[in-house]
Amino acid sequence: MNGGIRWGYAINQWKPQFDDFVRREQHERALKTISIAGFEGVELTYGTGRWEPLGNPQQLAANFGSVTGFGEFVRGCALDAVSSWYWDPAERSMEHLTGPLSPMAEDDLPAMVERARELAGALPELGGSVLVVRPVPGAGDVEPLGDDALGRVAACWDAVGRATAEHGVRTALHVDFLSALRRDHVPALLDRTDPAVVGLALDTGELTAGGIDPLTVISAYGDRIAHVQFKDALAVDEAEEYLQPHAHWTVRVRGGAREIPRWFAEPGADGGLVDFPAVTRALVEAGYSGWIVVESDQSPHPAASALLAGYLVQRELRPLIETEKEAADA
Amino acid sequence: MNQQNIKWSYMDHWRSNGPSGPVDQWHSHKTMSAFLKQIKATGFDAIDTFDFRIWQMYGDYGGPAKYQEMVQDNGLERIVNTFHAADYDVRNYAPHIPATHEYILEDFRVTMGRWSEIQLDNIIVMPATLYYDMEPVTEDKLKYTAECWNKVGEITAGFGVKLTCHHEFFCGIQSEADIETFYSYTDPQYVSLFVDTAQHCIAGVDPVALYNRHAHRVSGFHFKDTRNVATGDDHRHRPDSEIMAPTTGKWFYEMGTDQGLVDFAAMMTAVRDNGYRGWISVEHDKANKEGGDYSESTAISRWYAKNVLEEIYR
Repeated sequence: MNGGIRWGYAINQWKPQFDDFVRREQHERALKTISIAGFEGVELTYGTGRWEPLGNPQQLAANFGSVTGFGEFVRGCALDAVSSWYWDPAERSMEHLTGPLSPMAEDDLPAMVERARELAGALPELGGSVLVVRPVPGAGDVEPLGDDALGRVAACWDAVGRATAEHGVRTALHVDFLSALRRDHVPALLDRTDPAVVGLALDTGELTAGGIDPLTVISAYGDRIAHVQFKDALAVDEAEEYLQPHAHWTVRVRGGAREIPRWFAEPGADGGLVDFPAVTRALVEAGYSGWIVVESDQSPHPAASALLAGYLVQRELRPLIETEKEAADA
Repeated sequence: MNQQNIKWSYMDHWRSNGPSGPVDQWHSHKTMSAFLKQIKATGFDAIDTFDFRIWQMYGDYGGPAKYQEMVQDNGLERIVNTFHAADYDVRNYAPHIPATHEYILEDFRVTMGRWSEIQLDNIIVMPATLYYDMEPVTEDKLKYTAECWNKVGEITAGFGVKLTCHHEFFCGIQSEADIETFYSYTDPQYVSLFVDTAQHCIAGVDPVALYNRHAHRVSGFHFKDTRNVATGDDHRHRPDSEIMAPTTGKWFYEMGTDQGLVDFAAMMTAVRDNGYRGWISVEHDKANKEGGDYSESTAISRWYAKNVLEEIYR
């Protein structure tokens, strides 16, 4: 089954600011770079408005004629698929004239489900199979999650998961290093959700920056992993600055008290803290099948990041999977 | 070459951004490693290099053979070609001036000795001085130049390496007529042609037609693109045409660029139809000018080779 691992690369590193990466030729060069680096898929990040041409199905249609048209564009760049879409419901929608949505607010549930349905509805046509979601806001931006809140969140993602499943798309909860779920709440939430429709997105960089060893998560929840993101972490939030309000800006973007210039990088970067061969081996042993999307998240040199990551995948990680598979088959 | 007719080599122009500004790959072992990994990741089989890098090979890696081991450790086959970038001063290094020939010949005797610990396919030269140092280009000057390279080619052949000529648009032998005259005086046994698609295109010479006429003595290619043909005095602009011509800030682009003037499909078809088997080198020197990025240009050009050209011939 481990032949079922497919490798993608995330597009987010190409768009550091809202007015970057809006032109067709920039998209073409990025997708061709991902392709020639040895990846077969690309992960999109949700965005809204006319300067987010790849942000949502409406913008794809506005820029490429239709979702189908965008699929042809992707395949024309020699990529097989859009693997997945990352969506943080706290991002507003200019297309729907809605503000941030919260999985903890019962009133937001219909809009949450509808928005997820739209994204998931586009994915199969693009060859994708996972909607990656931010399951709760940052720890500093909400009250500590009690039983009631966790219950509402679980109900929300179960409803979203059922909606995306109608399109054959798995909903995967992506716990980042600022998340209110960072410490002890992942089990509490996962255990309340339906394994048939809700899984976990394992992000090696976010977990490591949050002081969590990805290997322990694979060991505990290997059967719930529906999606994997491989990025390296260059620093750990040991002082738990993630508990501050607005940590998305003050910690993630600005770097916190230490002014960390770059929390994340492509796998194998200098100073990287993640042991990718060990994580890959653990995923194989856990029987993971699906996408591994490689990310830099932020990169001053996106093409170089993609190529260096491609080297690691081609020369080390993919052969490692083959070796593990052969050993298992022997 | 097994069932593969064509292999792809990368001509090692390169810049990346270090903490104190742009650096080339020879800056450190770390930057060299990153360079080689990116070349391998895009599917190139080997690299080409410059003669003047041999000092860094000796100083930082223990010589060409040791450096080539690092190249191979990164999954690349070897170093295929070296480009001999001389100064072409009319006082001592001008192929059209016979009095400078012995100096040039001695340069190659020494150079080939330095490279002898690895096996190269070609040593590539610009066969003439800058255009303005050779003009007016006369038949006699072309004949003296040919005599010089015939002798150099005999030296390099002694080391099992082909001497091959790469006609920059700003060198003394760049027009179709002068190229034809030059080759009529050279010995095919000792002097080969190295077709640079962009340089010929800039000079107003059709690289496909040129290749078809001389296919029997073409020993390699630089596949790169351009968006501009030289006009007026571009080819003889003092003090420099390559990066200082007033008309054009950037002459060279990677294969696969928008608005490229080279017909690579026709070129690859000609390569196939002439039964060429061997290495094609890809380059995009000065890709970083005007906001370009070497990593991205490398990816785009190799993408084009894989997804377009290999559909024609591989």
